[in-house]
Order: sequence, then structure tokens, then C-alpha cells
Amino acid sequence: MSGQHTVDRSDVARSRRVGRERLPLPALLLAVVAATFFALPFLGLLLRAPWGSLLEVLGRPSVRTALWLSIRTSVTAALVAALFGVPLAWLLARIDFPGRGLVRALATLSMVLPPVVGGVALFASFGRRGVFGQYLDDWFGIRLPFTTTGVVVAQVFVAMPFLVLTVEAALRQIDHRVEDAARTLGAGRWYVFSRVTLPSIRPALIAGVVLAWARALGEFGATITFAGNFPGETQTLPLATYLTLETDPDEAIIIAMLLIAVSFVVLVGLRDRWLGGSREVAG
Amino acid sequence: MTLHADVGLRLGGFHLDVELQVGRGEVLAVLGPNGSGKTTLLRTLAGLTPIDRGSIRLTDPAHGGIVLDDPEAGVFVPPEQRPVGVVFQQYLLFDHLTALDNVAFGLRARGVGRAEARRRAGEWLERVGLPDHAGSRPRALSGGQAQRVALARALAVEPRVLLLDEPLAALDVATRRQVRRDLRTHLAGFDGVRVLVTHDPVDAYALADRVAIVDSGRLVQCGTVAEITAHPRSRYVAELVGTNLVTGVVGADGLMTADGVMVSAVSDFVGAGFALVRPQSITLSRAQVDSSARNTFAGTVDDIDRIGDRVRVGVAGRLHLTAEITERALDTLALQLGDEVYAVVKATDIETYPA
Repeated sequence: MSGQHTVDRSDVARSRRVGRERLPLPALLLAVVAATFFALPFLGLLLRAPWGSLLEVLGRPSVRTALWLSIRTSVTAALVAALFGVPLAWLLARIDFPGRGLVRALATLSMVLPPVVGGVALFASFGRRGVFGQYLDDWFGIRLPFTTTGVVVAQVFVAMPFLVLTVEAALRQIDHRVEDAARTLGAGRWYVFSRVTLPSIRPALIAGVVLAWARALGEFGATITFAGNFPGETQTLPLATYLTLETDPDEAIIIAMLLIAVSFVVLVGLRDRWLGGSREVAG
Repeated sequence: MTLHADVGLRLGGFHLDVELQVGRGEVLAVLGPNGSGKTTLLRTLAGLTPIDRGSIRLTDPAHGGIVLDDPEAGVFVPPEQRPVGVVFQQYLLFDHLTALDNVAFGLRARGVGRAEARRRAGEWLERVGLPDHAGSRPRALSGGQAQRVALARALAVEPRVLLLDEPLAALDVATRRQVRRDLRTHLAGFDGVRVLVTHDPVDAYALADRVAIVDSGRLVQCGTVAEITAHPRSRYVAELVGTNLVTGVVGADGLMTADGVMVSAVSDFVGAGFALVRPQSITLSRAQVDSSARNTFAGTVDDIDRIGDRVRVGVAGRLHLTAEITERALDTLALQLGDEVYAVVKATDIETYPA
């Protein structure tokens, strides 16, 4: 028994020594180049930023309108993605149905697809003359293209996979027997789901919502293809950045920095959430 | 009230086929090795795994009975509607809830208001001796405390059947004895049907009135602890209770094994039977001795296992026997693994009984 322990301890020590080992020099150089490559564009942006006109530009109605539209649509998209994505993740994680692999591939396709392609696909299906879009218009009077709702649809389309993947992984990891325990205590399926399953995956759920939100906030290709570029209606911050680059580069740079600042804050917050989550799993 | 379970189930290549009856106020221990199907049996009783064949019923002379599971009649009561409480292995407390809310969970799920559920949960925590841990998270509790919270959680909804899956397996040796004693007290306070699953004979003997031994999905033997210890009916059970069992055909002079080994014993019947050779009644010697003992089995030492001040020595020959001797005897004989020894037993020390 004690012999077993000695072996374990020396194993740990060995792996720690491996962990401390230095990277071979060529690999180290490549890693430094990679890190620099990520840092330089931000440095360039900071150096080129017209700091003097920062407040003036941020105060412009066009920028404020785009910022407000971006926040509204991205938050809505993240919540919609959670509303539909969590049940979908649950289905994919728990129910073994024929074609599950296909459904999972479909649900995550828009993550690897060029967003412009997603926009074209949305346009072909839900455009005013689209395969399904014409009925939406004829029967319900719902028009998606070139509307704020269309922006949200485009954002949900590209952002939901992040939530589905994150939540599905978490649902696979949790101990199902805890849900069994809840059932033997008299909890029906919905009570178990809302009071046991969801709280157990809370860190992953938050991470998934934040990831989806960040993706929705940065959405460009699908939005401009499907929803167009109308200030106040469909022109979100990324669209505004791109379009002002030609007319007013200073404004473009400041909007870009605004997006970076928002994303950076979210990324830092997410890192803590994720570490907190993994620590809980390991404990 | 009695629990009648006739459980037939196929899981992949595994077959579970066990029939049990447990009365009110009785503690039945289901004892078996890992993978014998005992946890699956427990899950069928709780309704977490439906059975393929047989039935699970609760009968009550006063109120008639209820059928919990009967595939032939198309009856299946889901776990949340069964009057069955479960204390799971590793306890499976809800990590995101305090100890108090864990205990209150079942009441809340059954529609009891928050304040009332918490009040009753508080009473249960007091009953299991943890009134000071109401606000503790499960992670902050010791193994023994977590077990008591799990017990209070299961009992708070006042089930008629209490199932415990390996209630002591998650504990370290130091706390096990104390927790076992506490569990015994708490089990005594519940007057329904109690079924306990364990792989440890010590737990089964300490906590149960009756033991059902399950191996490879089948009921091997069922009876009181005294019955099983006195008359094991298979090699597996004999090993479990720590004795030697030889199977064969019993005649006037003793028992003849299928391999043709004669075990001299006194017997009052003829036919297929068992010979029970208690480890304490075996004498080991280095040389073959002339004595009144009728049985001498030559073999080599293949196991030396110290248990307190006594030593169990395995002797492999035409029969495999385990002898229990004192440590001083072992030292005097200077026995080592692989040594040639003779295991000597008096015929009058061997008990025979029909198969």
C-alpha cells in the first residue's frame, strides 16, 4: 500500500518537472512572434487613435445610435440563443435519436461558415421573396430583411452554436445520478431540470451566453447581407466601423477601440468564470 | 407492509434475476461483489430503471397494496411518485444548495411552502445531529456529515421504503466505525422497509437483520446473519463469511468431492451436500504426524494474511483450505509462502449438511 503511494508521488514530481521544462529555442521564438502578432495591431490602433477627438466622436449621434443598436440586438440575440439553445443542447446531450450527428452538425455549421454565406442563406430563405420569407410576410406580415429583427435573426444564427456547444459539453459532464436523486425525492422532470440541472451547469451557461453575446456583438457579414445597413435600424457598430473607414478614418478607429474595449472586458470576465467553473469540476 | 420484489432485467449482456421480500421494520442487506447487480436492483426498486419481467409491489394488510412496477400489467410508477427514499453512494447532495435546502428539497418538490419546508428540514437536521450545519454547503461537510444530510433528505419526505446504496463505502477507515454506529441508530428510528446494498460483509452484519447475497445477477443465498455464517451454501458465500466449504457427495464416512478427495466427517444423511471446515479447527504442521485426526491434506502455503493477532494461511493442495492460527504459531513454524505443510482436521470438527 505504502509502495503504491510512493509511486504516485514520484509520478506527480515527474510531471511537475516536465511542466517546468523550457520550450526548445525555435518553438519559443515562434511563440514570441505569435504573441507579438496579436499585440501589434492593437498597439497600432492605440498609436493611431485621435485621442483629442475621442469624446467628441463618442458623443456623435451616429456613433451613439450604432452603439445602442448593437447593445440592444446583441443582448436580445444572446437571450434568444439561450432560450432555444439550452433545450437543443439538452436534446443533443441526452437523447439518443437517429440523425443526432446531423442535427449537431447543422446546429454548429454557422460557426465555421463564412458569415456572408450565412447571410445569403438567410436571405434566400427568409428574404421577402425567400422560400419561407414570402409566407411570413403574406400570412403574418413579418418582414425580417432590412429590419432590426433581421439583425437579431442574423446574430442568433451565428451566435447560438457557441452556446449550444458550451452547454452540451457541460450537460455531458454533470453527474446524472444527482438528477436521479432529485427524482426519488419527488421532483418531476421540469422541477429537476430547473432546480438541479440548470444550477449544476451555471458556469457553462454563463460562459455560453457571454460567448454568444460577444459573437453577436461582432457580427458583420450575415448582418450586412441579410439586414442591410440602415442607420438606427440595422447599422450596428461593426458595420459603422467598416463604413466610416472610408469617410472618416478617425471615427472608425474610435469605434473599433470601443468594440475592443467591450470585448476585452467580456473576455477577462469570462476567463474568471471559466476558471471558476473548471475549479468546481475538479474539486 | 411488505416489499415484494421479483426483478428480472437484462442490461446489455447482463441478466439480473432476483426475488426478495422485506417486511416493515426489517433491515435487509443485499451483499455482493462489485458488478453483481446490487446497485441495479436498488435502482429498479426506486424506479430509476424499469424492470423487464416480474413485479415490484408494496403490500399492506390494512390498506391493500400498491404495484410499483409490473411490465406485464403495463404498470410503472415513476420514481417521483414512489414512496421510496434513497441514500445514494457518495450521497449525491445538491452542491448548489445548503444542507438545510438539500433536506427541504423533497418537500419543496412536493409543493410544501418554503418556510414550512425549511422548518421541517431543520427538525430533520436536528434529528441527525447536525443542527449547526444548516447553512453549510455539501463540500464543507465531512463524509459522515454528508451521509447524515443525505439520510435526512431521504427521510424528510416520509417514505415507506428506505434504500441505501453502499452507505459506508465513501468513508475512510477512521470514521467508518463511528458512522456505522450512528447509521445503525438512525436506521432503527425508521420503521418502514429498509434495504441496504453493500459489498462489505462487516457492514451487512452490523446493520442488517437479514442478508441476501447476490452474485452475477442472481440471489445466491438469503437468511439471517447467523444462518448464513453457520451454513453457507456456495464457495462465494463461504469466502465472504471467512470459512471453508467443500461440495460433494456425503456418505456414512464423510464427503467425497467430484475430484475424488475424501473428507472424513460425521454425517447423519446420504446425498449431495456440503462439508464446512472452520479455519479455526485446522491444525498446520511441517511434518506428517500420527494422530487421531482423520483428515490430513498436504499442500503448499499460497497466502499469509495477518488479521490482528491471528493469521490466515492459505494451503493449496487437492483442496484449497484456509487455516486460522496465532501469530506465535506462525513464528514457531516459520512458515513462508511456498512451504510444504499438512493441514490436519478432526472428523468431528467438520460439519456436513445437505445441498
